[in-house]
Amino acid sequence: MTQIARRGLLVAIGLAILIGLPVVVKSSFAIDIFIRILLFSFIGTAWNLMGGYAKQLSLGHAAYFGLGAYTSTILEIDFNVSPWIGMIAGGVVAVLASLPIGWLCFRLRGPYFTIATIATAQALMLVFLKFRDFAWGAEGTTIPNLGAAPLMMQFDNKSSYYYVVLGLLLVSLMITWSIERSWIGNYLIAIGEDEDAAEAIGVNAPKMKRDIYMISAFLTALAGTFYTQYIYFIDPATAFSFNISIEAALVSIVGGIGTLWGPLIGTVLLETTSTLLQSWLGGSIGGVQLTVYSLILMAVILWRPTGLMGMIDEARQRFAHPKPARA
Amino acid sequence: MWETVAQAVINGLLIGGIYALVSIGVTLIFGVVKIVNFAQGEFVMIGMYISFFLASQFGIDPLLSLFVSMPTLFVAGVLIQHFLIRRVLGPNDMPQIFLTFALSLLLLNLSLMLFTANYRTVHTSYSDEAFHIGGLYIPVAKLIAFVVAMALSALLWLFLHTTDLGKAMRAAAQNRDVAMLMGINPNRVFCVALGIALALAGAAGSLLMPFYSAYPFVGQVFVLMAFVAVVLGTLGNVVGALIASLMMGIAESLGIQYVGADSGLIVVFAMLLLTLAIKPTGLGGGRTR
Repeated sequence: MTQIARRGLLVAIGLAILIGLPVVVKSSFAIDIFIRILLFSFIGTAWNLMGGYAKQLSLGHAAYFGLGAYTSTILEIDFNVSPWIGMIAGGVVAVLASLPIGWLCFRLRGPYFTIATIATAQALMLVFLKFRDFAWGAEGTTIPNLGAAPLMMQFDNKSSYYYVVLGLLLVSLMITWSIERSWIGNYLIAIGEDEDAAEAIGVNAPKMKRDIYMISAFLTALAGTFYTQYIYFIDPATAFSFNISIEAALVSIVGGIGTLWGPLIGTVLLETTSTLLQSWLGGSIGGVQLTVYSLILMAVILWRPTGLMGMIDEARQRFAHPKPARA
Repeated sequence: MWETVAQAVINGLLIGGIYALVSIGVTLIFGVVKIVNFAQGEFVMIGMYISFFLASQFGIDPLLSLFVSMPTLFVAGVLIQHFLIRRVLGPNDMPQIFLTFALSLLLLNLSLMLFTANYRTVHTSYSDEAFHIGGLYIPVAKLIAFVVAMALSALLWLFLHTTDLGKAMRAAAQNRDVAMLMGINPNRVFCVALGIALALAGAAGSLLMPFYSAYPFVGQVFVLMAFVAVVLGTLGNVVGALIASLMMGIAESLGIQYVGADSGLIVVFAMLLLTLAIKPTGLGGGRTR
């Protein structure tokens, strides 16, 4: 079997498992965890386009998550527009917002770019906390429950939400896959390796960074709409939560920064760990989850900077080409 | 009218002294080791908890606990540089950013687990005292904190300019490769830089304790201020960071006075975004990186 056929077969099997999962697993607790895994894989994949390939390490993606969430919710509650349309509108708002934010933040490089992204996301949260007239201020609002209303992105069973977010993840993976194997991916990686060198050989780095930031922001905004519809609630503290920015970066780095499957694998590991911890400790002690996450992150950075994907690749190579015994 | 303005300026200046201790630490690490320490605020928090426990368990005055918090955090800084940061120094930004970021997350959430999210305060004999000069009100605890902060900054300046080790640090900050060729051991210099920076953060924590509450997230307020001050005052420039911190304190205080009680942070973000838009290299000039 050729490599392409083998890979295609693997993807087909994986896809069949993902589609069949809610049919086999009936526990709504388990489906809830699957939805979280798919959602954060999706956000992580969106982050990874910019943070992984072009190494623009943002810790402010909550800005776009929140903008997406607020745009669709305001459209739904004030103008009775379906969240399906609101979702796309949220993406457009995020793209428009990414232009001035990117213009400011891309003036800095390295760690100061990261700080600037944190600051812009926090500033946006403050805006939504302050302006009560159009966005309900700090109390937030609940989304009216319409029962089973697929046209308003509301379902009476969790598995439908599961398929929606699975669809989002597949779209983002396909975008990543096509970018990875085109010249765009190579340009982004060149920028990530050494921006000055990339510019010297003719890569238009500012334009590339701006464009990939727009795509990343658009996808992250879709996640915001989905999440709000899923939990029927929105307020600035959840929509612009710093934890979303953190987790988007974390799942990608732990799974394998700048790889197609990294965010998915990283989310599976982190979310499973977090679920196990919660069932052991009863979720009573604040800070346990992030303590464990930060220890995993440190371990990955110190010992396996290529993440879980790097470990998988190593294992596969050792399996395929066993090292000759050393004398 | 002018009294309100003067009072706001005094309040801002006094708290700006504390911001200065934090931002000088950030800028020292950035200048010498070329990394941004995302965990700097958490060391302020640790300094506060050290002073809180010394005060509540042994009745030691927070100002005296400076002599515990500063050496403790100096040692912590040396160990963190030697065992953690040294391993990720290189051309790649990702490990450096996310190592100190993970450290920040770890310390914050560990203290949330150990100390809970409750606010802890220490009441001293001078916590409520104040000088009244012509209609102006100067709280004693804040004045002491400001004076000690300025004294520590002056000591650091003297250290950097008169001692061999200080000169070696400045040399390493200016050009690491040439400094190494001149026989400076970079890891030793980096260890001292981390140690001093963390000791300053610890000092900030102890100085804050008589008039500020300790809680796990407290460091984030100060680190955000420090980051803005460090960008504003040109990355890696100690005097620039000091002046910018005092300015930030005053701007925040004027913002609270004239815009609204919870608008301090908005003023800070506005200043950061404005700085980035107009002069991303900071007030002192220099490169963005």
